Amino acid sequence: MREASRELIIRGAHVLDPLSGLDEVTDVRLAAGRVAEVGAGLRGARRLDADGLHLFPGFVDVHAHWRTPGREDEETIETGSAAAAAGGFTSVVMMPNTDPIVDKPVIVSGLVRRIENESRVRAHVSVALHEGLRGERLTEMRLLKEAGAFCVSDDGLGTQSAGVLRNGMLYAKTAGLPVILHCEDHTLATGAVHDGVPAALAGIPGSPASAEDAATATALVLATETGAKVHITHVSTALSAGLVGYFKDRADVTADTTPHHLTLTDELVGTLDGMYRVNPPLRPEKHRRDVGEALRGGILDFVATDHAPHSLSEKDLPLEEAAPGFLGHETAFAAIHTELVLKDKLSLSRLIEAMASAPGRWIGGAGTLGVGAPADLALVDLSEEWTVRPEEMVSRSRNSPYLGQKLRGRLVGTVVGGELVYDRIGERVGERV
Amino acid sequence: MRARDFIGTQDVTREDLRTVLDLAQDFAKGRLGGPTDGALSGKTVCLAFFEASTRTAVSFELAARRAGAHVISISEKGSAIQKGESLVDTVVTLDALEADAIVIRHPAAGAARLAARHTGAALVNAGDGRGQHPTQALLDVYALSEALGGLDELDGRRVAVVGDVLHSRVARSVIPTFQAAGMEVALVAPRTLLPLEAHAWNLPVISSVDDALDWGADVLYALRLQKERMTEGSPRVPSVAEYARYYGVARRHLATGTLLMHPGPVNRGVEVSGDVVFDHSSLIPTQVASGVAVRGAVLALATGAVGMEIAA
Ligand SMILES: [Zn+2]
Ligand SMILES: [Zn+2]
Repeated sequence: MREASRELIIRGAHVLDPLSGLDEVTDVRLAAGRVAEVGAGLRGARRLDADGLHLFPGFVDVHAHWRTPGREDEETIETGSAAAAAGGFTSVVMMPNTDPIVDKPVIVSGLVRRIENESRVRAHVSVALHEGLRGERLTEMRLLKEAGAFCVSDDGLGTQSAGVLRNGMLYAKTAGLPVILHCEDHTLATGAVHDGVPAALAGIPGSPASAEDAATATALVLATETGAKVHITHVSTALSAGLVGYFKDRADVTADTTPHHLTLTDELVGTLDGMYRVNPPLRPEKHRRDVGEALRGGILDFVATDHAPHSLSEKDLPLEEAAPGFLGHETAFAAIHTELVLKDKLSLSRLIEAMASAPGRWIGGAGTLGVGAPADLALVDLSEEWTVRPEEMVSRSRNSPYLGQKLRGRLVGTVVGGELVYDRIGERVGERV
Repeated sequence: MRARDFIGTQDVTREDLRTVLDLAQDFAKGRLGGPTDGALSGKTVCLAFFEASTRTAVSFELAARRAGAHVISISEKGSAIQKGESLVDTVVTLDALEADAIVIRHPAAGAARLAARHTGAALVNAGDGRGQHPTQALLDVYALSEALGGLDELDGRRVAVVGDVLHSRVARSVIPTFQAAGMEVALVAPRTLLPLEAHAWNLPVISSVDDALDWGADVLYALRLQKERMTEGSPRVPSVAEYARYYGVARRHLATGTLLMHPGPVNRGVEVSGDVVFDHSSLIPTQVASGVAVRGAVLALATGAVGMEIAA
């Protein structure tokens, strides 16, 4: 992907890598794009002084919408990957609900080429499970895989029927592609927000939790029966998390939840602000708590952002008319760190596991600082407090639900393949002749 | 002499195969006589087709007539079978006409077995639903052994059954038949065209024809893919292009002497690329030609016209 990078020694950071059991202040040598050595007192010509910073394996986001092709006014591979890098993400999976939809081998090979030229981070292409996301005809998954597809997903939509989904799982299994499922029963999900007290009071049509739960149950049952490799994305309810727990050892199933479902609730519906529409919707506090608990206990394997840029014209609308979706990359770590880690609901180590180790294992070969691993890492100042400001967003869009909020913990550098791809500390890199 | 049924191949033995193949060879060489003095002289063979099938019906009828049998042919199309007339009623009627053998084709698996319980005539299954199609499997083994130089030459060879195993009565018949001939069998199909319990036969499942060659297939047995599997409801295959790429037999697969078989009719460009149907490695023409001889042998054995030592 890139030329082998120059050697770099990162000195004095607190290195935390749950997978290799590292949790100490030490030095890391990066060479030829890989982690070459970990240990105190490393010497070399080019070094980065990281005293007081934390060094984590690069984060992995299996769920992002970079809106390319088709809506480059909202995000491009360049800006999406820059936003990912600004959030410490070094690997990202791009969702296929673009325009055109990514359902043909030629679109995949085109995207793969563009990623090589335009992306700052490693990016993988998810392709549609069904042609045009219509839930009818299967995509040519085997040809798509040869063209570079990484997984399949009809994200943005739930699936029409259990029979269609089952058939898709069987074929995906044949193609050797994991299936990422957005679980939503469209006969139940007829509203714009969670069907809770704030929706009732505000008069916004609500969608009940059952819209997610019924679809999640169906997906899990079918995953168990077909043996397909299935990942349930953006789990947002207590019951769906519980269902995932029940099926965990019975199927080849993993699941994620999002930073916003871990940190925000449907109280925001009361603002009537289009900004806060998202799918699945923000849930009441009890769901938020239980989902967080499921992440802590490992029932939910990891975090994915569902980074979904939207233009102002799609968000500056009455809540029920606004496009659903939030920016996610740039605030993911800081939001969860602030809301859960600093409030003792989640350990820092489990957070790194959930943002790096576990999704890294899911995509394969990422999410660790073990010697020989790709030199993908995130440098973070846990003490830095910052306010999320629209003019400072790296994404091409501005639809972050955290705008104006103070968060604690900020990325200061992101390294992919040994090269700094996000850099707020470049001046700290010292060269010695 | 007791009538012998040919309902399925689940319990077929190597000796059964030898008996049928020897007799089919005699039949092919005219050793069983002709229309006036044939082995089936004086016998009545009824063809009851509850499902359209020109090829199989013609093949049976020709075989029966060549060996001197009277043939009564009824089909739903010719309206001799009343719309909605039950299988059992038809069979009972034919039984009353003192048929020696009833050849039955029906859209539901198990129809042949059910029919056999209601007649004293020998019952020959000409294909029932997704169930069985035993004479197809027998003629396949006949064609293959002619090509390889005898039944014993099949022993230890590898055959990959490619395609729509799930909906195929041919697959359910050829798998045990090839195994009885001593062959190793593997399945090549996407999960959407296999039973959920793909291990039902305890056979390896291979994911492409290319991989089947790596497995060491001597024979590629391509199954017919019904068009509606790609168009109706939620299609089981994304496209002809993808199916042909992974499950279609192309010229390159036959380069090293691998043989091609197909029960017909072939969807050219789907299961088999158009230019290899009549390739020298293709046994498809031989299979078609073997039909009459093998079905003649089966009718002779079924009606007891020829002595049979083979187990029921
Ligand atoms: Zn979704
Ligand atoms: Zn999404």
